[in-house]
Amino acid sequence: MSRPGFVLEVDDRTPPLVVHEGQGFRLEEFPLGTRVIYPPESVPSVPDVEEAIREALVNPVDSEPLPSLLKPGMRLTIAFDDLSLPLPTMRAPDIRQRIIEQVLTMAADAGVDDVELIAANALHRRMTAAELKHIVGERVFRSFHPQGLLYNFDAEDRDNLAHLGTTDRGEDVEISKRAAESDLLVYVNVNLVAMDGGHKSVGIGLASYNSLRHHHNPQTMVRSHSFMDHTKSHLHHSAWRMGRLIKDHVKVFQIETTLDNRVFPSPYDFLMKREWEWSVRDQASMLAVRRGLSVAPKRLRHKMFHDIRAPYGLTGINAGEVEAVHERTIEAVHRQQLVEVQGQSDVLVMGVPYLGPYNVNSTMNPILATCMGLGYYFNSYRGQPVVRRGGAVILYHPLNEGFDQLRHPSYVDFYEEVLAESTDPAVVGAKYEQQFANDPWYIHLYRTSHAYHGVHPFYMWYWAAHAMDHVDDVIWVGADRKVASRLGFRAASTLGDALEMAADTVGASPSITYLHNPPHLIADVKV
Amino acid sequence: MGVIREGVEDVRMVARGWRWGRRPLVPRSAEPWMEPVEQTVFGTDWARRRPGRVAREVAQKGGLEPVFRSQVRTHVEGLDVLSRIQGPVIFVANHASHLDTPLILLSLPDEWRRRTAVAAAADYFFDTWWRAVGSALLFNTFPIDRRGGAMSATPGEVLADGWSLVVFPEGTRSQDGWTGKFRLGAAFLACEYGVPVVPIAHRGTFAAMPRGQNWPSPGRRRLTIRFGEPLRPEPGESPRSFAPKIRHAVSTLLDEESSTWWEARQRAASGATPDPGGPDVATWRRVWAQTKSPEPGDRRAAWRR
Repeated sequence: MSRPGFVLEVDDRTPPLVVHEGQGFRLEEFPLGTRVIYPPESVPSVPDVEEAIREALVNPVDSEPLPSLLKPGMRLTIAFDDLSLPLPTMRAPDIRQRIIEQVLTMAADAGVDDVELIAANALHRRMTAAELKHIVGERVFRSFHPQGLLYNFDAEDRDNLAHLGTTDRGEDVEISKRAAESDLLVYVNVNLVAMDGGHKSVGIGLASYNSLRHHHNPQTMVRSHSFMDHTKSHLHHSAWRMGRLIKDHVKVFQIETTLDNRVFPSPYDFLMKREWEWSVRDQASMLAVRRGLSVAPKRLRHKMFHDIRAPYGLTGINAGEVEAVHERTIEAVHRQQLVEVQGQSDVLVMGVPYLGPYNVNSTMNPILATCMGLGYYFNSYRGQPVVRRGGAVILYHPLNEGFDQLRHPSYVDFYEEVLAESTDPAVVGAKYEQQFANDPWYIHLYRTSHAYHGVHPFYMWYWAAHAMDHVDDVIWVGADRKVASRLGFRAASTLGDALEMAADTVGASPSITYLHNPPHLIADVKV
Repeated sequence: MGVIREGVEDVRMVARGWRWGRRPLVPRSAEPWMEPVEQTVFGTDWARRRPGRVAREVAQKGGLEPVFRSQVRTHVEGLDVLSRIQGPVIFVANHASHLDTPLILLSLPDEWRRRTAVAAAADYFFDTWWRAVGSALLFNTFPIDRRGGAMSATPGEVLADGWSLVVFPEGTRSQDGWTGKFRLGAAFLACEYGVPVVPIAHRGTFAAMPRGQNWPSPGRRRLTIRFGEPLRPEPGESPRSFAPKIRHAVSTLLDEESSTWWEARQRAASGATPDPGGPDVATWRRVWAQTKSPEPGDRRAAWRR
């Protein structure tokens, strides 16, 4: 029986606690009385994955069984989440591979010839062939990729986009033409966190900038409290309106999966355990990993972390009508990640790890680190933020990984030119977003290389808009001072220094909460 | 060199944080809730049979006492009360350190010491077999459940067999050296079995070896121990009314320890005996006061010169 998440109060018996900071971690001795939120342990996973997939496809929610939807001569499109999910990358075989193989088996049995597979990467970078192959598996890759029937979605290919109309709020809905004109669109999702899935899958994953700009903007993000709770997220409200419009044009068969919390394989598994329960072996592993990291050159350190493949287990799979499926999915995500927390605190502490959705096989540049800390982790709450309005956030990350010119070219200019002028999401959005979104060179790199779209760094910055609006002080521990200052934040060498710096905002003896993730958690804050 | 130094610092931090060589601790807020279960009583009868007694005599006289006396100095008062009574009795003392038990046992006359058993926390001294066997053999301990609920049958049986008991009614070592609340266990035993209670007050063990320390501080600190007049429960008296009398007796002895017998008696008679729980001041001041070992000059002579 797995134990639920819980809130620890640091006392004199508490050993130093792990805090992630980029490609490394430190052991921090928190002030007495600090609350530490631990995620629940992994809930039991599905014993027979193949059978669970079959069961979901044959007995879907609010929909006819998949085999009865498959007819000879039909146009079938299978879309799937890209490499930003799950994190870290799942150990092979990926769950999407196992689902797609069963869907294709059913399609072959039904005599469907016209099948295309599209990675729903929206404005994310094109995946390499190897990355695609890891997701769909060798068999699917060999059958479709050489013929050009397995490909990354191209949001700038005007000829292959379909404008389906506008919502009642005037939002354009423009998605992949192939998907929109299919007789059946099967979407295979990995619902790692609560923000994924639902109408966000097709409505955002297969959409163009023309459509995304309606919800990926500072105004929407500031009002999404939080974007990890789709019922309170303006971003999701917009995606839901678009999804309902899409539903009128194309039949979507949504397949959503949920995973357990096993993010670190051996010998890194000590990172998932509660520190006071570390065995001698765990302590030795930790010391060995720390020593190894301290002597390893930068490239090796990068490899050590980015080669991690998570031994995730499947905790649930649901298929059928988008909204009905998503309701069940969210229940499963909450079962795995929700932790009840009483009240807000003055200071929220978070360690930003080496990996976020946008730096798989790449570097965590300062903008992505901000997005990870103030975007994803800050928003990992339900109800109220963990930190009070006007409080302080303390983040751990060195902010010194630099920029990946291949994957993040527009980030470099965003950092050098835009942030130098203003760090206010609303200001930078109004002034520069169009220029970056329509820049022909960025569009060229997005379409032909492996670069994120020109507008992507703006979205990362908007992701953090709610946190920037909510708290008065953001301090990075162990960060490069110059970089932190460019981002509009401050840097401190130690937690003690950071707390002293935050004293102007929150007083000399603030209440502190540390979010002990990864693995993922959602703080259910009761006020 | 920096790498080696950092490595050493890491190892030190882990050794400290994970208490290498010491009992691992779980943060209080993470302690699992335990269903109150009937503790299985660890059998310690063997420790009170002849081979156990012989082994204990050798261990106490040959090992414990020389080591104890090499580390601390003791000053014993009031042993004459034992010449006026017959065992078994219940020795009740304040509790501030692991030194308390050897101090009491080694202060007793040999014939009393050989017939005295010690009530020890089942969850602490009897959690592993080797700790249980060691403490039963060396100190003649038997387990009691300090989490409340029904007392195990063992103390009564030990008393009935004619053994005197050492009981620390506070249930745990003091956090700051001052005396805490007394539980009813000792009073219950005295009332139930009609045995007298001999109050004991000692000072200096907290200063010499407080919680968290597993060896006395250097310098052969001085410990003082004082035995008081035996108390007997009135016929039909309840433990609840008898327990405060025991605590009062220990308080008076502690007062006597820092003043004189006569002044302590006077204060006791007027109800002005200082609270052994200590003054209501900042924690550091409470700890500070107790970290000073009692020295001969501290105590005023009964007659001023």
